Amino acid sequence: MLAAADRKLALWNIGVAYTAFLIGTLAGLLQVFIRNDRLELPAWLDYYQILTAHGVLLALIFTTFFIFAFFISGMSKSLGTFGPKVLLWNWIGFVVMLTGTVLATVMIVIGEASVLYTFYAPLMASPWYYVGLALFVVGSWIMGFALVGHYMKWKKANRGELSPLFAFMTVTTIVLWVIACLGVVATVLFQYIPWAFGWVDTINVELSRTLFWYFGHPLVYFWLLPAYMAWYTVVPKILGVPVFSDSLARLAFVLFILFSIPVGFHHQLMEPGISDFWKFLQVVLTFMVIIPSLMTAFSMFANFERAGRKNGGKGLFGWFTKLPWKDLRFTSIFIAMAFFIPGGAGGIINASFQLNEIVHNTLWIVGHFHITVGTPVAMTFMGLTYWLIPYLTGRKFSNTMKKLGFIQIGLWSVGMLLMSTAQHILGLLGAPRRTAYSGYNGHESALEWFDGILTNHVTMAVGGSILFLSAMLLLYIVIMSAFVSPKAVEPDEFVEFPLAESDKRATPKFLENWWLWIGMAFLLIIIAYAIPIAQMIQHAPPGSRGFITW
Amino acid sequence: MTKKKQEHEENLKGTLISVFFVGFVIVAMWVAVYLMYLSQ
Ligand code: HEM
Ligand SMILES: [Cu+2]
Repeated sequence: MLAAADRKLALWNIGVAYTAFLIGTLAGLLQVFIRNDRLELPAWLDYYQILTAHGVLLALIFTTFFIFAFFISGMSKSLGTFGPKVLLWNWIGFVVMLTGTVLATVMIVIGEASVLYTFYAPLMASPWYYVGLALFVVGSWIMGFALVGHYMKWKKANRGELSPLFAFMTVTTIVLWVIACLGVVATVLFQYIPWAFGWVDTINVELSRTLFWYFGHPLVYFWLLPAYMAWYTVVPKILGVPVFSDSLARLAFVLFILFSIPVGFHHQLMEPGISDFWKFLQVVLTFMVIIPSLMTAFSMFANFERAGRKNGGKGLFGWFTKLPWKDLRFTSIFIAMAFFIPGGAGGIINASFQLNEIVHNTLWIVGHFHITVGTPVAMTFMGLTYWLIPYLTGRKFSNTMKKLGFIQIGLWSVGMLLMSTAQHILGLLGAPRRTAYSGYNGHESALEWFDGILTNHVTMAVGGSILFLSAMLLLYIVIMSAFVSPKAVEPDEFVEFPLAESDKRATPKFLENWWLWIGMAFLLIIIAYAIPIAQMIQHAPPGSRGFITW
Repeated sequence: MTKKKQEHEENLKGTLISVFFVGFVIVAMWVAVYLMYLSQ
């Protein structure tokens, strides 16, 4: 078991994560019913306020706090107990992050910040919303640096040795996060805050969107890499095999640093003000990410095949039936991975320049991120939650909980399949995202969208309701494992932290040469962004004053 | 040495075919949307 102080830190992060999850999924439930006109909100609450809460609380708050809980537990396990300084700075970071979260959430709840989680200018929220976001990011940096400090201490004590895989991947993710946040910090500090407080009258919209998406795309990798960490380091242990290839795992991770940042323009393909050349360059760089993605897919299947063969699977695919399907920790993550196949494929479509015209700002996009972050990432985190909380609290995870867990992931899968399939098809037909109920003035072709068997408001509402039910079941399991389940006494009642062996004897040392990867990352960033951003500043269009549309 | 050899002879054909399957899903979905794009 980990030291009590480290466990407490991780548990607090999980606590905040699941509080956000509760409010966020409730907002999701309301959304599906508002969209089909079955629910009218009281005057003090509006659709965009709820949608802002949903995006912020689930995509930013739930993910980030859970990710830090996972990092803290895994770093303490693989590198040893935290020293007093590491603990102190982690707590400071946590408090700053929490303060920012509360501030931003209050602004959303009192109706001062219905600008959605992307907070595009010229929509203008209360300045305190932006201050809240800035504090959130700064807090996450402090926690991140505290963990890097813990890593550096280990490196000093083990000179010349490669760090354990979990620690390496944690540091990679933090490096990615810190570089990514430079964009959002720049725009929030130098553009939004002066503008929202009224120190300046106007804002350069194109620049703010560009800096946001410089951050926005690596943000999705900040969610995904911790899920990949579970896939690379936790899943093999559950399967009873060592990590497939330590070098491959590390190489894939550093490639994600390189190819996830200089690509933000693929979210701005429909925007004027950026020339085709720069868009095309970033589209090409976007496609490079397919390489580490397929490397990851290969490693995962290799884990399954080796494990299945060990258990007696014969023939080309006999191993498949020999996987530990009755193990909730495995099956949950397996489903998460399966959802990521169409999820990732959809992402390639989104980024394909012209094809973006078909899907841009439609419900397809909503379907897409619910089968990327909303299921592959979220369900991997669920699969971790089942053992991580009991591991941290020293409580038992009973068979009843296990059964409930299977029901929970089953419901989430069915609900998501219904909701996201409906959204994907509706989007292809042209139905827009980010809208409350609309009758489209009775326009025929718009109303036809919703006539299909799968593509109607009922499917989306049924899917959303099933999802919400699943979310509540998960929260029940979370509360039981955190506060109620009996404490483990016998050695075999303790829940373990499954972390696979990774043979790093053949791993080349340059993979852990951070300056090399950070240097290459900045080189690519400069190539992709320096000229277009300079042009946006030099030939700035007239700025925009703020708009409050709600 | 023999151990190393064994590792290399590990049978991962199923893995390779599975990854091709992932690639196939990517290409199929992409082509489907591309055809839609052309027809609009
Ligand atoms: C109970 C489960 C959930 C339901 C019913 C649900 C439902 C929805 C719906 C209907 C929308 C689209 C609204 C619109 O465009 O008008 C939406 C947007 C969104 N959802 Fe979910 N969702 C759920 C879970 C999640 C999870 C787990 C995540 C991420 C971890 C997530 C992230 C998002 C994001 C980022 C948006 C976009 C918000 C925006 O456009 O500003 N959702 N959700
Ligand atoms: Cu992106």
